[in-house]
Amino acid sequence: MSTTRAKPKKPTLKVTPSSRVLNVSTSGVLRVNHSSTYARSINASVSRKSFSLAADSKILDKSSVQTPKHTVQVFDENGKDVTPQPLYQPDPAAVMSKHSKIFASDTSGGTMSDFYSTAYQTTTNASFAGPFTRSVFGSSTVSRGSQSTMESMNEEIEDPSSKRDISISLSDVQVRREEVKELIKEEMLDDVVDRYLIESETLWLLHMPAVSVSVDSEEAVSVKERNNLYMELCKNRMGNDKYVERSMQTFNGAPKTKEVQSEAITMVDAATTATTWDMYDSFRSAGLGEAALSPDTDKASVPEIVSNHRLDPTRAPERTMSVISTTSIASASSSRIEMEPFVVPSEDEPDPELVLQSEKFQQDLFVMERIILENIYQPKLAAYRQLPTLEDPDSVPKVVPTVVSRREESSLDEESTLTPALERLWSFSCELTSGHNVSSMAWNKRNPDLLAVGYGQFDFKDQKSGLICCWSLKNPTWPERVFTCESGVTTLDFSASNASQLAVGMHDGSIATYNVESREKTPVIDSSDCAHKHTSPVWQVRWIDHERGASGEDKGETLISVSADGRISKWFLRKGLDCIDLMKLKRTRNEKAKKQVGDKEKKSEALISRQAPGLCFDFHPTDSNIYLAGTEEGHIHKCSCSYNEQFLETYIAHKGPLYRITWSPFCSDVFLSCSSDWTIQLWRQDLFTPVLGFTSTQSAVYDVMWSPKWATVFGAVNEGRVEIWDLGASILDPTIVSLASPGVKLTSLLFATETDCILVGDSDGQVGVYQLKNLTVGEGTQVAALEDIIGSTLASQL
Amino acid sequence: IATFLGRKLQPRPQNEVEETLKRIQGQKGVQGIIIVNAEGIPIKTTLDNSSTVQYAGLIHQLVMKARSTVRDIDPQNDLTFLRVRSKKNEIMIAPDKDYFLIVIQNPSD
Repeated sequence: MSTTRAKPKKPTLKVTPSSRVLNVSTSGVLRVNHSSTYARSINASVSRKSFSLAADSKILDKSSVQTPKHTVQVFDENGKDVTPQPLYQPDPAAVMSKHSKIFASDTSGGTMSDFYSTAYQTTTNASFAGPFTRSVFGSSTVSRGSQSTMESMNEEIEDPSSKRDISISLSDVQVRREEVKELIKEEMLDDVVDRYLIESETLWLLHMPAVSVSVDSEEAVSVKERNNLYMELCKNRMGNDKYVERSMQTFNGAPKTKEVQSEAITMVDAATTATTWDMYDSFRSAGLGEAALSPDTDKASVPEIVSNHRLDPTRAPERTMSVISTTSIASASSSRIEMEPFVVPSEDEPDPELVLQSEKFQQDLFVMERIILENIYQPKLAAYRQLPTLEDPDSVPKVVPTVVSRREESSLDEESTLTPALERLWSFSCELTSGHNVSSMAWNKRNPDLLAVGYGQFDFKDQKSGLICCWSLKNPTWPERVFTCESGVTTLDFSASNASQLAVGMHDGSIATYNVESREKTPVIDSSDCAHKHTSPVWQVRWIDHERGASGEDKGETLISVSADGRISKWFLRKGLDCIDLMKLKRTRNEKAKKQVGDKEKKSEALISRQAPGLCFDFHPTDSNIYLAGTEEGHIHKCSCSYNEQFLETYIAHKGPLYRITWSPFCSDVFLSCSSDWTIQLWRQDLFTPVLGFTSTQSAVYDVMWSPKWATVFGAVNEGRVEIWDLGASILDPTIVSLASPGVKLTSLLFATETDCILVGDSDGQVGVYQLKNLTVGEGTQVAALEDIIGSTLASQL
Repeated sequence: IATFLGRKLQPRPQNEVEETLKRIQGQKGVQGIIIVNAEGIPIKTTLDNSSTVQYAGLIHQLVMKARSTVRDIDPQNDLTFLRVRSKKNEIMIAPDKDYFLIVIQNPSD
């Protein structure tokens, strides 16, 4: 260590305190070892401090020096203040010298104390740091006087500063400066600050002088000279006494390996797709009060979910936000792993039960059922809707005998007309309705796909409880609504003004209205406690729209019913009260009618009641004041709402109870009637004898209905068959006849309004839907044709 | 008794779900019904376990993709129904926030 003394002051070699400082700092890692060699451990700490200060200030070059002034005062043995003054004050403007200045001031502050501490104690310190060659310098410093060291320090500092490796720790100085900066920032945040950009002095970080010089430059000559001199010198060196070879040994420090082990840094890959809807959802729920939560939870939860077992990573964030808002708020700041238990358990438990019972699920089931049925019934429904039916290209082609063969026949036929026929599409039936007799059917006025069917026996003998089913075309296997009634349903009608209101007349004389929209099983209004309710089966109900009511105030729709107790009653709701009032339209007695018209057939009948049981009625399509009523005797009475005492006209032709009267929808003075005397009669209202009569079989005709599309077409149902009559084709025979299945009686008929289909109800509870095929009636509604027929018939009768 | 009942919308009876499910199961060509909850775990099924799990997993992904597509085009829109028609059968899926209802039908059976 003491060999260092021999070394003179050489700028390149003089590091001394700074180098010592360097040593200390670099050996700071090993400082435990080295500082222990010191008698004064303060050395190490101080020098470290000074070094760090120096280093920091080196970095913070342009700043004004904020050096902690070490107020160190040095006194020699005599008590004289020999505190050395710093050679020069630090000047922020000058950069180059600043380095050294700062070092000087700092290190002077630091190393001074360091130095002096060493100076007052004879030491063997200094070159403690074995490994470094610069330890040489440390001791050389010690040997010098204070002043010289200052100078040497200054000189030394410049060079080694470039050689230094800096292990820096943030010092107080640096921190303080940053704090100041921040304060400024906050205050002056909004101000416009002017910044001036100046070109600073050039910092030389590394200067490697070139080892070669261009031949053309000015130095070339001197360089060449020097080179020559050197070459001479080298030549002379060999064997020259002036040059002595000498070797030196340098210490090589023993290297020590140090191993550090750190825990493996767990990496998690996180990925997310920012979809448009994801962002939309986040913004929406953020706007709803979960504020800044959502983007954070999004980010926090997404990597979470990727590692989850969930199958829907992108859905989970929105769910966590919407469902578990509170827990996610709590966990947003927590680690990822903590979030998982918040999310998972609360989702799982209520699910299976709630899901199955939820309304939405029922709705979905409902829709699903319809879709499945649509798949099954698609060809039939398409035929109903008069759409072309397509063959499923993937289905196995089956042999469909009836339709295909007919098509083949028809294609082979050379005749232009094909046989009109009824093609059965499907039937509305389910196990609820089997065994019930279909008594009436009605379409909904607003939704032509909705059908109400009433089930009830006609005979008084085997009465069962009645049933009303509302069927939708979209589900032929199960009714949309099922209402059970105490007694058999004999008639029903949908209201036109309130499309969900269904009026039902029953075999025990009661009338009820149901609201088919609701799921309640009970009627909205019932006539049971009305004083004037019907006492015998209600055979027909109808909603009639009056332009002006009988009493002058009842505009709108009213419910009219006819019953076997001989009354046609008008029902309406009195305002404010729940009960139903009715206005009776008294029916004239049989005797009166008989007396008026003159009778040949009924003289010997005994009178049971003075009222004739009414079985059917129909209001005039255009004049709602006039209506026709049919009785059990076979009389048709034309009545007016304004006269409730007398009939206007009476038509007598039938010999049995009239089951149906219906005005023609096209010719306003033509109507049809059918009765149990096997006949259907066509009347014109000004003639008292029927224009045409139609008979085909010897069975009672239960129902007859005009086609809504053609004036000359009507359908009729008797016990065993359905008949479609086209008067334009033939007035003697029905155009289409379709037989019922054996054992089943056909009881009611309904034309579909928009398409060429008819519905036939039978006594087994089935409502079959048939399509009229190949019924060529001609263009238009055939009104003229009908009138022609009538006219020609009349003419021929005369 | 003249009764006038308010027109409230009554909740459907609980057994109606079962009835409807039975009816669907009994329709022509229906091969199976699967009800899956939001995480893809089957709640109710009429198929065997392995098929159920397979259907549930695959269909879940498909519905997610379909829904993402629909909503990407218009975030206010949402998927209401999905039908996949194949050579042998048709898969009908009614997706919801909390569940999927999946029905497999072969209409030409």
